[in-house]
Amino acid sequence: MTTPGFDDLLGAVRRAFVDGSGAPVATGVRPLEPAEARAVLGDHVTVAVTDRALLADLVPGREITAAIAVAGDGRGALVHTTERVGGTPSAVAEAVDAATAHLAGAVRRLRSEAAVLDALHSTGRELTAHLDIDRIVQDATDAATQATGAGFGAFFYNLVDEFGESYTLYTISGVPREAFERFPMPRNTEVFAPTFDGAGTVRSADITQDPRFGKNAPYQGMPEGHLPVCSYLAVSVLSPTTGEVLGGFFFGHPEPDRFTARHEYLAEGIAAYSAIALDNARLYERERNLASELSRSMLPVVPATPGLDVLTRYLPAATGSKVGGDWFDVIRLPSGATAFVIGDVVGHGVTAATVMGQVRTAIRCYALLELPPSEVLRNVSALTGGLFGESFVTCFYAVHRADDGTLTYANAGHLPAILVRPDAEPEEIGEALAQPLGVGAEFPQRSTAFPPGADLVLYTDGLVESRTRDLTLGVEWLLAGIPGLLASADLGPAWDKLVDELTHGRHDDDIALIHVRNRGEDGA
Amino acid sequence: MAETDATGKSLGDAASSAGTVALENRNGTAVLRVGGALDLALAPKLRQLAERAARLEPAVLVIDLTGVTFLASAGMAELVRAHRGRTASAPLRVVATGRITLRPLQLTRLTDELVIYPSLSEALATG
Repeated sequence: MTTPGFDDLLGAVRRAFVDGSGAPVATGVRPLEPAEARAVLGDHVTVAVTDRALLADLVPGREITAAIAVAGDGRGALVHTTERVGGTPSAVAEAVDAATAHLAGAVRRLRSEAAVLDALHSTGRELTAHLDIDRIVQDATDAATQATGAGFGAFFYNLVDEFGESYTLYTISGVPREAFERFPMPRNTEVFAPTFDGAGTVRSADITQDPRFGKNAPYQGMPEGHLPVCSYLAVSVLSPTTGEVLGGFFFGHPEPDRFTARHEYLAEGIAAYSAIALDNARLYERERNLASELSRSMLPVVPATPGLDVLTRYLPAATGSKVGGDWFDVIRLPSGATAFVIGDVVGHGVTAATVMGQVRTAIRCYALLELPPSEVLRNVSALTGGLFGESFVTCFYAVHRADDGTLTYANAGHLPAILVRPDAEPEEIGEALAQPLGVGAEFPQRSTAFPPGADLVLYTDGLVESRTRDLTLGVEWLLAGIPGLLASADLGPAWDKLVDELTHGRHDDDIALIHVRNRGEDGA
Repeated sequence: MAETDATGKSLGDAASSAGTVALENRNGTAVLRVGGALDLALAPKLRQLAERAARLEPAVLVIDLTGVTFLASAGMAELVRAHRGRTASAPLRVVATGRITLRPLQLTRLTDELVIYPSLSEALATG
């Protein structure tokens, strides 16, 4: 069966406008905007419009005697006349409407389906755009509880801690958390088992009548003070990549028979999106941990450095995904000199961590050949550009010789180092000497005295700059903090405190630092 | 009058959580205006639009950092890439002024090779 087109419908309606003798009368057609059509017609296809005020509004200044609104194919119109007509128009309107009632019903159903899909789709987009597990689970629980019209909803999900132990957390929606907290975690009682086993959705008009209900000791039924669950709906959340059960959604309502097939469909849809979002978050977390682990595993063990106290710190980015680019190194050279290296590879994650590992090794190799600092950096820069394409690595390289008390250094686009000679103000050395490794070709070196009692601080930009703290200011604050730091009895805790003050405990970039103090004892 | 990239706003403008990059085509000069934090999060967007700008085969590419509030090394690496990388096709001019953007470029001596202007109008005025 084909539905009549709008023009056919409009023609038929106009022909219904006849006078007492059955002769056609003159009619006018006033198109209706979609909003007007919805207001006048609702879900009907044709409607006789008799409301005087409405007619005066739609067709101002005319004495309308009869009018019928028609809609179809996304269009709408009002057919009207000012002549005397027989009783037929409104009868025709009713007849058409009755004949098309099933269509109106279908339209209503489709509109409501579309609204459901829209809601599900936008929830899915929201959920899968995030990588923060806490946020995903709470948003998902709220969305699903609302979509199912549940009195309350909960999402129990499994996480694996750093020791590989699985543990369960939950979020709730619709009731205060306190209402939940007095109860033990749902174990694999017969009611919950299908959900935690991933066996399928459970929907019950009245779970208290379910034979599986209330078999778990010690409660034997509804625990006292438990949220009053009658209607029950539970959906598993299954990983799309591994198929494992990531958790389960549970919805309850104190009245029976509240959850329909559509609610079930919605809950399953949100569960599927939640599974994707949780999977993404877990993979992201794994990558982040891998980069962090890789960076840590490549950190050197600081060798014994006679006559020098060396303190080092490596703090992977506390927030975000920027772990992996910073490093430091302390190398005893065959001649007895000591080389200090600090650097930063642009990029993040596993890629930056692996580039860092290779650059660090390259520097070690040239350092152990006892090449002067400018030659070490020149060689590494050439190697870096060739090996990693368009790379950008900043690095400060300094060699201390105890025999003549000098510090010789070169700087590839890295932040200047801080040198504090005895009884002097902190000064910055090596500022803007050369371009980064992979970019520059020449790396001039400088030499300065590094006498007993002097301190040298090398650091990466995470210590002094962030989106909210510009470099110049950050360096000023660091310099201001140095005298107090040097006066402290124990450098370790003093540095931890200063780092905390400078970054407000939330460094969103890696931080690496080396503090060298020349004790001045004989280097043997 | 500036002409917005014909590919439209949704493609021509790329926003990240903290920064934005917009590509404009001004009579054969491609202008990339960067706003907010130019760091690891925004750098890929700058690269993406710089590569798109290169496909327009402009006579000059201008990267305007006037609206940048934080210039991290990831951002500077993209400037080097746009200047001498494989996809660089047009001479690059960088608009940077003040310590927020100029200071990091000085510390890394990128000022040695990047052509830097204090304002967009000056970058556009030079023939």
